[in-house]
Amino acid sequence: METTDLNLFVRTSEETILDWDRSKISDALVRETLIDSDTANEVSREVEKMIRKSGIKVVTAPLIRELVNAKLIEKGLESSRRMHTRLGMPIYDVDNLILHPNKENANVPHGPEATNLTLAERIKKEYALLSVFSQDVSDAHMNGDIHLHDLGFIDRPYCSGQSLEYIKKFGLNLPHSLSMANPAKHPEVLLAHLIKFSAALQSNFAGAIGWDAINIFFAPYLEGMSDDEVKQLAQMLIFEFSQQAVARGGQAIFSDINIYWEIPKHFVDTPAIGPGGKFTGKTYGEYEKEAQRFAWKLFEIYKEGDGSGRPFFFPKPIVHITEKFFHTPGHMDFLYHISDVASDKGNTYFVFDRGETAKISECCRLSFKLEESDLLDAKEPWRMRYCALQNVSLNLPRIAYLAHGDDAKLFNLISERFELAVKAHKEKRSFLEKLLSLGEDGPLSLLTMNRDGMPYLRFNLASHLIGMVGLNEMVQIHTGEELHDSRKALKFGLRIIAHMNLLTDKIKRKEGIKVVLEQTPAESTSYRFARLDLRYFSPASGSVVKGDIASGEVYYTNSTHLNVKNHINPIERVTNEGIFHPLIEAGSISHVWLGEAQPSKEAIADFVIKTFKHTTNDQIAFSPEFTTCNKCNRTSRGLSDTCTYCGSGDVDGITRITGYFTKVSSWNKGKLGELKDRYRNNEFFFEKQEKAVNE
Amino acid sequence: MGTVKIFYKDGCPMCPMAKRLKDNLQENNVDVHYYNVETADGLAEATFYRVLALPTILVEDEMENGLGEWRGTVPKVEEVLHVVQGL
Ligand SMILES: [Zn+2]
Repeated sequence: METTDLNLFVRTSEETILDWDRSKISDALVRETLIDSDTANEVSREVEKMIRKSGIKVVTAPLIRELVNAKLIEKGLESSRRMHTRLGMPIYDVDNLILHPNKENANVPHGPEATNLTLAERIKKEYALLSVFSQDVSDAHMNGDIHLHDLGFIDRPYCSGQSLEYIKKFGLNLPHSLSMANPAKHPEVLLAHLIKFSAALQSNFAGAIGWDAINIFFAPYLEGMSDDEVKQLAQMLIFEFSQQAVARGGQAIFSDINIYWEIPKHFVDTPAIGPGGKFTGKTYGEYEKEAQRFAWKLFEIYKEGDGSGRPFFFPKPIVHITEKFFHTPGHMDFLYHISDVASDKGNTYFVFDRGETAKISECCRLSFKLEESDLLDAKEPWRMRYCALQNVSLNLPRIAYLAHGDDAKLFNLISERFELAVKAHKEKRSFLEKLLSLGEDGPLSLLTMNRDGMPYLRFNLASHLIGMVGLNEMVQIHTGEELHDSRKALKFGLRIIAHMNLLTDKIKRKEGIKVVLEQTPAESTSYRFARLDLRYFSPASGSVVKGDIASGEVYYTNSTHLNVKNHINPIERVTNEGIFHPLIEAGSISHVWLGEAQPSKEAIADFVIKTFKHTTNDQIAFSPEFTTCNKCNRTSRGLSDTCTYCGSGDVDGITRITGYFTKVSSWNKGKLGELKDRYRNNEFFFEKQEKAVNE
Repeated sequence: MGTVKIFYKDGCPMCPMAKRLKDNLQENNVDVHYYNVETADGLAEATFYRVLALPTILVEDEMENGLGEWRGTVPKVEEVLHVVQGL
């Protein structure tokens, strides 16, 4: 190694201290950027001169790199500077991170593992913005025109829909794993495979892992089991999923289980797979009773809650209701049963698959009408593996500030932002393609494993989600009225979403990729957009953002929802929000916030049937609130500052943030603002209760 | 007097009949709104009225209350006039 006359030590990133060596700078510049060696030498000499003049004795590698970057800027070599960027974090931020909880995703508890996760996410996020996406896409994200979700998970697809049939047929045979398991012979073993595989999938996807028709696919294993044994299995399933909090930085597996009371038409004639991965010789239509038994027991466990009577946060039970539901014996009993859980614990999601066209839940938040090719897949359900590669949301209020009341400008801007989102999708898509092309030796080996003539991840069928935040505020800025104010405002909102819906068709035709509108959960995005618009679009934004500006608890209304504060009858809310659902393929939901009210199961069931029969709403959930005591471990209804049993102030509030239950103390400020505003429908449900008592 | 909303799209088999109905109604001085569901306006309006079949013909009074509807079929002009004139 050549040493210069400069008596200087360098602390490198490899935890060593080296003597100063100017050529390391020029070597790095030539290796990492596009500049020639003469320029590189010149830069390194100038940097050396600067350091020598300073009289400093020990420099760090990051400092040298930044000094070099400053030189590159001086010389107008901006693109080379980008390529020479070092990713990392200031010590102040790392300090904060290690000491204080992360509030961006309430599903992540605080702790060393979680800190590791956050640190990695920060670097991958920077990497994504610098290296995966083009500058205009990254800039649009940074300034809040759009939001690229889960940038810290840039090297994974977003969310996925899975089929238990795959594990039943092929066993657990994952790349690079030390042990291989043949197809399960017993239900407990199948369950263990399910949990293990979910954990493996969680480390390959950014978002939710959804399991289709779980009670139906378990059914062939349940023959001959007593009711108590089935209940025990149900308990194991829910406990195992909810306690997988050791998996990723202490984050629970964001898991959905899809449940049917009826055997939906598309599975009735499907040959059933049983113990040992063998066909049983029967169809799933013949396992209705067993499937129902399991569904019933699962909800008995949900009703009981965890040891302290709190609701289980995961897995989320999603009950699909098809037309056939209403012709299936026992459906009213089951509806009361799951309505009871909805009222008492809030877990139940009611998904409405209306009409005679079959639908499957394709992903955490996707449900699709089955096309002919999908119906063929339903005959071989292990093939039914779906995913969405990425989720990008548009800041709709921002567009309205910029349009200044001009319709043409408004619609043009929406198209522009939409195209930018599509560009982002294409960029992530080609990045993932590159990773997947490395096959079983690459980072996504699990997704490339090939057991049935195609890779596990069916890339060609992948969806690309485009979400929207703050339709309500967009309409408010543009027309002066919020969505609930008049039929005219509601119809204007519909025009916006119709426009976006037509754009997805256009992209499908033009680019050949499946772009799908989604109601983004926007747990932190609605807060981020509101905050950025307060900064860039004041004073106009001041009267539009929801929440409390003084305390910084600000937010935009989620997706196409109506203002959460507005006192409207929940039936009317579910009806009017549901008008948008046919235009939005993924994740549409209406929330009915309950607060302290605990409606009767009959009232909930009646509400559910009315929603199915008289609205176009795709999905509803009821959200009660709880206070759980860390002293006496008891849980009471409603949010309060002290325990109603022992008076302790050491309590946690629990309710649904957007898509799941969690402790309120972990929420970001925007969501806290929304929580304060939520209209809890007390009048409606208490009135109902009184009426029921009087009758 | 009611107003009429007709929903159509290009290439749907019965939609030309709906267009003739529109022309006939207009000759009778009926206020007709004609919506192509492949445009944002048309699709928004169709979604609002839960139009699932094309063509669909709706009649409303001034207060936007429904007076009559034909979904996936095209009625005779006299039938529509009958409803529009509140007979
Ligand atoms: Zn207590």
